[in-house]
Amino acid sequence: MDIIACIKRVCDTSEADAIKIDSSQRDIEKSGLAFKINDWDEYALEAALQLKEKLGGTITAVTVGPQEWNDILRRALAMGADTGIRIDHDVASEDPYIVALILKTVIQRLPHDLVLFGAQSEDFGSGQLGAMVAEMLGIPHATLVVSLEAEENKIHISRELEAGTLESYTIELPALLTIHTGINQPRYISLGGIKKAMEKELQVMSPNDLGLSVDMLIPMVKLKRLELPPKGKEAELITGQPEATAGQLAKTLKEAGIF
Amino acid sequence: MTLADYKYADTIHRCFRCGYCKFPVNWMDVNNCPAYARFRMETYSCGGRLWLTRAWLSGEIDWSDHLAEILYSCTACKNCEVKCPLRFNVDILNMIIAAKSEMVEAGRIPSSVKKFLENIQRQGNPYGHPRVKRGEWMEGTGIEPYQGHDFLYYVGCVGSYDTRAQEVARALGKVMQKAGVSFGVLGNDENCDGNEVNKLGEETLFEMLAEENVAQFKKLGIQKVVTLSPHSYNAMKNDYPMFNGDFNVMHYIQLLDGLLGDDRLDISGGYNATVTYHDPCFLGRWNNEYEAPRNVLKAIPGIQLIEMERNRDSTLCCGGGGGNFYIDLLGGSERSPARIRVREAHATGAGILAVACPNCLTMFEDAVKAEGLEEELAVRDVSEIVAEACGIK
Repeated sequence: MDIIACIKRVCDTSEADAIKIDSSQRDIEKSGLAFKINDWDEYALEAALQLKEKLGGTITAVTVGPQEWNDILRRALAMGADTGIRIDHDVASEDPYIVALILKTVIQRLPHDLVLFGAQSEDFGSGQLGAMVAEMLGIPHATLVVSLEAEENKIHISRELEAGTLESYTIELPALLTIHTGINQPRYISLGGIKKAMEKELQVMSPNDLGLSVDMLIPMVKLKRLELPPKGKEAELITGQPEATAGQLAKTLKEAGIF
Repeated sequence: MTLADYKYADTIHRCFRCGYCKFPVNWMDVNNCPAYARFRMETYSCGGRLWLTRAWLSGEIDWSDHLAEILYSCTACKNCEVKCPLRFNVDILNMIIAAKSEMVEAGRIPSSVKKFLENIQRQGNPYGHPRVKRGEWMEGTGIEPYQGHDFLYYVGCVGSYDTRAQEVARALGKVMQKAGVSFGVLGNDENCDGNEVNKLGEETLFEMLAEENVAQFKKLGIQKVVTLSPHSYNAMKNDYPMFNGDFNVMHYIQLLDGLLGDDRLDISGGYNATVTYHDPCFLGRWNNEYEAPRNVLKAIPGIQLIEMERNRDSTLCCGGGGGNFYIDLLGGSERSPARIRVREAHATGAGILAVACPNCLTMFEDAVKAEGLEEELAVRDVSEIVAEACGIK
């Protein structure tokens, strides 16, 4: 089975107060931040690896981004992908449509039985990309996939709906899936593995190489401004013996209209 | 990986599971392997792990989450190595670490271990806190960035980020200031020492950390290092020489012992308490330093030092080694080693459980709360006790 996994580079946002908006007000200050593979995409990569281990075939990891995004392709190769392709285009705060168009153009040129995306990105979180690419390719798709089992020409999947309800489908291949977290446990990418992956060559191409001209890549949606959420009120710390603090807490909650 | 390719293929079969590895040197308790004490199953003892490793590498059993958890519940406390009566005992812990390395290379490790290592890859600390916040602990202390001082004060990840351990990092800084020790710190430029990374089997990441730290120390002209944590001390003293890092490394307790010997610390303020001291594995069993902490505590007026039955090379690990202060495969039970240990400390009648390791400190602080002993037993780092005896607020 030939699988394409589309991945994105995002910053490590484990501590929100490390995030600052830059002077353009359309991006974040990147100095001092650490970057990684988007969480959802790591689950998609792991799903691809498990399918390959079971059924054989190839995995191609694809990303659209500037040169520093090579590091996530190296990580994907260290994880077990066979090939890494980067389309050199700066997609910071970009319209998902443009990224979808670029990805669709690359994927069309590659053998693919299954195309996997993470269900959404940790930074912009629009969750649009996978469905857009599937529509552009004219192949069936399912989003928010939480389990999958593949046969030669079809795949059985479940997707998660509200309140954990599951919906199951059997889909003919080729197909596209957007993968939800929790579907598997992505393997650890050792530094030794990354070092070995440094020896592998990455394929880098420009949108122009794909026949996409500048006027085809004009965003339909433009990011106006990024803002940090307003700070909430300070927490009120009630200290003292439980006999007294319990009463004070009840009073505070009552005053706040909680009960 | 097959058994034939395994570094210890020729020796791992020599363990016939006599079971000595679970005992302390003084034989007083069968539960001196922290993981065995927690789970009470042979698989969690060193011998059990060696047999499982052999079965895994020879294809008799498959990798499983459970197998990974069994290996990673080893805290690398070295009790097994000290107690094993056979000649190949010098390698029994290395055999487990080598098996962990196989799991790391295959990417198949418990999710908490994965998180621990990824955080260090990205942010240089296991918590995943930003590198730019590493030096926040020292705000307002007047501690200087290292610039040609006699000592680099290497604080480590726990002392830099854990709020309770930060108090200890500041207390030690103030004690050294008061004694007129010339020292500086690296602040946000300090990186993980890698000791736990090494014991978790991530060899390449450890090599990178060691190489980067050695290069940084040399660039700054550092010759003498004093560490807050015995874990840092162990890596820098015993492993960094393999990366051309031949620094004069000491744990702070050795520095304080020397300062007291030279009469450079006025501890006349004293510390009125009955104290029992817990030997941290990476100071004791790993580096044979048992007397310096006792010398320091005995020198302080007002301290009555009493020993737990398991002390020195018979110490029971707090359960925090081998990354377990974060990956926590031994927690969640009254048989968790830290809880067993604080009960043991409490049974001596001591009011203070003294430690000389930020990992032990955080483990025991939690255990004292879980045991409901807050009113009777307090956990204090020796540096805090010395600070108080010096009249430092």
